[in-house]
Order: sequence, then structure tokens, then C-alpha cells
Amino acid sequence: MEFKEGKHSILMVSDFFYPNFGGVENHIYLLSQCLLKLGHKVVVMTHAYANRSGVRYMTNGLKVYYAPWKPFLMQNTLPTFYGTLPIIRTILIREKISLVHGHQAFSTLCHEALMHARTMGYKVIFTDHSLYGFSDIGSIHMNKVLQFTLADVSQAICVSHTSKENTVLRSGLPPEKVFVIPNAVDTTMFKPAPERLSMDPIVIVVISRLVYRKGADLLVEVIPEVCHLYPNVRFIIGGDGPKRVRLEEMREKHSLQDRVDMLGAVPHAKVRSVLNSGHIFLNSSLTEAFCIAILEAASCGLLTVSTRVGGVPEVLPDDMIVLAKPDPSDMVHAIKKAIRILPHIDPQEMHRRMKEMYSWHDVAKRTEIVYDRALRCSNQSLLERLPRYLTCGAWAGKLFCLVMIIDFILWRLLQLWQPDSEVEPVPDFKRTELKTEVRK
Amino acid sequence: METTQRRWRKVAYGGMQPGFDDNHTDDTFLQEMVMNANVVKRDMLKVMLDSVSISQYLCIVALVVLVWAHTLNSTITENFLIILDITLVGSGFFILLLTAKMLSFKLLLSYAIKISFFTTGLYVLSPIYHTLTRSISSDSIWALTTSLVILHLFLHNYSGSTIKAPGALENPNLTSNISLNASIVASLLIASRLPSRLLVFAIILFSLQVFLFAPLVTYCLKKYSFRLHLMFSFVLMAITLTCVYRLHKLLFVVLLGLLVFVNLVCPYWLIRIQEYKFEINGPWDEAKLCFNITD
Repeated sequence: MEFKEGKHSILMVSDFFYPNFGGVENHIYLLSQCLLKLGHKVVVMTHAYANRSGVRYMTNGLKVYYAPWKPFLMQNTLPTFYGTLPIIRTILIREKISLVHGHQAFSTLCHEALMHARTMGYKVIFTDHSLYGFSDIGSIHMNKVLQFTLADVSQAICVSHTSKENTVLRSGLPPEKVFVIPNAVDTTMFKPAPERLSMDPIVIVVISRLVYRKGADLLVEVIPEVCHLYPNVRFIIGGDGPKRVRLEEMREKHSLQDRVDMLGAVPHAKVRSVLNSGHIFLNSSLTEAFCIAILEAASCGLLTVSTRVGGVPEVLPDDMIVLAKPDPSDMVHAIKKAIRILPHIDPQEMHRRMKEMYSWHDVAKRTEIVYDRALRCSNQSLLERLPRYLTCGAWAGKLFCLVMIIDFILWRLLQLWQPDSEVEPVPDFKRTELKTEVRK
Repeated sequence: METTQRRWRKVAYGGMQPGFDDNHTDDTFLQEMVMNANVVKRDMLKVMLDSVSISQYLCIVALVVLVWAHTLNSTITENFLIILDITLVGSGFFILLLTAKMLSFKLLLSYAIKISFFTTGLYVLSPIYHTLTRSISSDSIWALTTSLVILHLFLHNYSGSTIKAPGALENPNLTSNISLNASIVASLLIASRLPSRLLVFAIILFSLQVFLFAPLVTYCLKKYSFRLHLMFSFVLMAITLTCVYRLHKLLFVVLLGLLVFVNLVCPYWLIRIQEYKFEINGPWDEAKLCFNITD
């Protein structure tokens, strides 16, 4: 089932993909592009967006299946357990897939696809992009679903070490099965401004969704304080969300209209120009598995001030980031320190260091190692796999076994109705060998 | 060539760390995890004493249902009910005066005026309640009343009172409001089955007094003196059990069973299952804001 010697055919599955923009979407797209450059075959499957449904091709021949399911809640498809089995089976056979790679625990399509792929005997990999708690009712359910999916996964990937600890605790996976491969940033797109900005006024940039989770309430407390202490500091706030109203009110209350610019939602293509107009990047999130925004800011040569939450302390070395507790007075203190060390920062030097520390090509190579490891796992029949589900819980274990048995029966019925040989495989296009980039 | 291997660092930058695989699990793995940080060790006697307030409220509701049953059977007359109402108002005020520290004469006067408005309003509206459910069959009324009383008991806020003493800081939450409304609707349904308008007025006044103010009075009593609260509860339980025994033997057994369950079985069960509590905290938790968000 392999495409070429040592090369794999990978199906990436998630509810989150282009035309939406976000961490998971960019991750899947950029990782797929780098894997294509390495010579693998990558196909992406996601749900239909508005009227974008069917098969589309993206750069470098990346084939995307927009399966005709509409999202029903927060970009997720309706979970129907077995409804996606026929279409996933067809895609897996047509494209001669050898591995299925699912992304994001919150994506119902991902869980269903991984379940069906396991039933049909394919090797399965899961990447977790977020941190979750343990005590609220939503997290408890999510963790149970994750336990089900990860009970029988070949390998798992997390984007930071804190995320690995969180995933291992939530799902009960042995830690040796979890690989830590962080996200990266496209340093060719995020470059600092050619000329250094003048130090007066000092511009602090904030680009995030203005929601509770991203610490918009902390911004409301911090910005007036900083503006009061430093008369030559200006703020630029990009992004939109429910908390925007509070920030506008704060602006009115302290008469900061000329010192705080609110740009509204910033399209992804314009993020670089917004970042290039500032000196310091402020991130006030209350929880982050891995903050790509910080990488983009550092790649543009900005000094970062961030809250010390989740995986943020692992992302940048100590001289490129100032960390603070998620507390307004501590954050003001951190901004003071950042303003003090700002004259010693060289944006071009920072950008050069980022080029060495993070690259998607490196991420793809490390992911390739995980794929090789996954393919070396032994094939197991249904009876050998069922005991793994029984460990999920006294009642849940038996329920999950039942779900898998029904899935197996449905698959066999589908095979009787439409045998594997009747599904037309996609012909392999002979692509001219892409010049592999010599990195550094 | 490097003879000493570099130490593994918990960082994400710089690519693969030389000498270590990506799935390397260091000794510091899960080092910052904290288990059961906020768990309180419970003492059996204290839990049993605290559960007395639940059974006390159960008995109060049982007494109200008893009064309803007797009134429907015409065992209790209107005069008795009116005297009962006045006694309850008087004793309630008396207890509040003794125990609550924040009452003043002006406040009492305003309360008296409000109560007289309320009572007059009820008297004027009682003909409406009298004919409210005339077209509905009795079975539906009994079934609806039973479900509403059970709903009321389920969602009741046993730790405080929905009607707060003046100066209280917390706002009532959704479930305690729903339970209060359920009890009011149940009393209206029962009242609509009675033969005379005066009876309707008296029984609604009685039920509303108990449902609206009994939690407040018992809360003030409990805050004032715990021993008084315990004595009051035991006396109440004894009275309720005797009255229910006289009415119906099976209901007596059910009530007794319920009281034993709430006071003895549940505390034991709670303490037994506490040992399975597994609370996990660590650097992956969402940060809590230390200030209140004022809109």
C-alpha cells in the first residue's frame, strides 16, 4: 500500500481547514505542503464550507475532499457514529492511503474517521492541539471521547511538553506513545520591517480574538495603567469578539482614543504589516497549548510579553520573551521590564534566530519519523483490539466495545454490498520531482 | 566528539534535541502536577449534624402537605386555619426579632405594611383561585401537585434561603427560583380544590407564608444558635412523624425511611466515596482571574 519506497500516503482529517484560518488549519496546510515536498502523498478531508463542497486541489497538488456534511455546532459536523463510514472507506481505498492522521480533539469528524480507519485496519495517528481541564462537564465528556479514540491509536503527537502531560492524564495513554513535535512559523512570510522603527512612540501590538479565554479582561485592566505610567506608549489592538465592547468602553472611560487603535478583525494576509508597525507584542491568554502568535511576532522582530500559562514558557528562549503571572499588576511590571530592555533588541537578529529555531520542514521530518514508527506497529484483528477498549471504564469500556463491534459488522456489510475491487483507485499523477530545498 | 550527553530541556524550540527522541519521557514528567489540593476531609458527625437542616425542611414540607390533606378532608375548619396563619406570622416575626441583628423598628413597620397589602391582595383574588381548576379532573391535580412538590424538594437551596435578609450579598440562582415557583403553583392548585372562598384565602396564605419565609426563619435561627436549631428540628420531626402516623401508615413508613436515609445513610455514603476523589491541577489549567469583572 505504499506509494514509493519509504514514502507514505497520508490522509489528514479534521473539521478545521481552509477556508477558515486558525492554528489547526495552518498547521495542517503547512505540514501537508512540507510532506509533499518530501515526496509523500497527502490528501486532506474536511467538511463542506458554505458552498465549497466536493474535491478541490490546492498548491502543489494537495487534494482536499470537502465531504458534503454541513457543520452544525462550532465548525463541527453532526456526530452520527456510522454515517461517515461509507465515504471514508471510499476515500481510503481510492487514494490507496496507508496512514490516517487526525487533528484536534474537538473535531467530531476526526474521531469518527479514526474509529473507522482502525476498524478497517489502517494505522492511525492523532495530534492534539489544545489543553483541556478535568472538572467541568464539557471537559469530562470530551476526555471520555478522547479516551475512546486514543485507546487504540498507533502513535500520538502533542505540540508542547505541557500538552503532552495534559493529554497523557486525560487519555491514559502510555507516555512513550506520545511524541512532542511543536508547531513552527513560516519565517519567509513574517519578516521584520527593513528599517528599524523609531523608539518614540513605543507601540505595543495585541492581535487575538477578543474572548474571555484569550484574556481580554486582563487587557482592560492593564492598558490604562500602562498608558498612565508611560506617556509615549501606544497600543494597537487587532481582532474582534464579544469582549470588544468592554475594550471600547475602557477607551472611552480613560480618554485613550488617540493612544489605543482598535483595528477590528485582521485578515491573515495583513497580520505581518500590523506586526511590523510595533515594538512589543502583548499576549494575555489564560490558557495556551502552544501560541503560534508569539512565534509570528518574534519572527517579525518584536519583543514578546506574555502570561505564563500552559506551554508558553517552552516556546521562546528567555531573552526573547518576558513572562508574567496572569495578574494585571504583574503584567504591568513585565511591560515595564520589556520597555527597559527594548533598546537592546535587534529585530533582524531575532528573525535570524527564529529561522534556525523553527521550521516547518523540520516539523515534517520529525512527523515522518512518527509515521515510520506507526507503520511498524503490528496489525491486530478485532478480537485482539477489543481488550484495549475495556480499560476505558466499567460501563464505558463495554459500551465502546459494542460500538466497535457494530462498526466492524457495518464495514463487512458494506464490503459485501460494494466490494473493495469495485472502488476505482485514483491514478497516480507523475509529478516532476520537486527540487528539495537545501535548508541552511 | 561530545562525550557528555547534553541534558534534556523542557523546551520546544531548536528542533529535535540531540541524543533524545521526540517521545522521550523525562524524570521530570508530571512533576508539577498537584493532586487533591482543595479537597476537604470530612468528619462523620459534622456531616450528620449538617444533614439535619435537610430533614428539618422535609418535615416542614410534610406538615404543609398534611394541612392540605386535612383541609381537603374538611377535618380542619377555616377559623382554625386563620388562627394558624396569624400564629405563624407572629412567631415568625418574634424569632426574627430575637435572632436577626439588622432589623429596626422602621424596617418592621415597612414589612408590616407590605404584608397587609399582600394579604389584602390575596383576599381580593381568592375568588379567581377558587374557580381556577374547575374544569380539570382531580387526578391531574393530585399528580401535578405531587410532581411539583417533588421538584420543589429536589431543586431547593438547602444551604441558605431564597428570600434574603436585608443586606445579604448573594443573588439567588436559577434552581432556587424554580423550586420556589413550583411550590407556589402547587399551593395554588390545592387551594383551587377547596369548597369555600375563605378556605382558599386561608390555605394560600398559610402555604405562601411557609414556603416563602420558613427558609429565612430557620436560617436565622441556625445562625443564632446551633443547639436551638437542633432542638427545634428534633421536635419538628417528632411532631411530623406522629401526625403522619395518624393520617396514613404507609406514608409514615416512607417518611421515616426518607429521614433515616438523609440523616444516616447519605453521610456515610458521602464519606465512603470521598476516597475516590481525584482532583488534578497543574500548569495546563486555565488561569483564574483574581479580580471581578464589572460590566
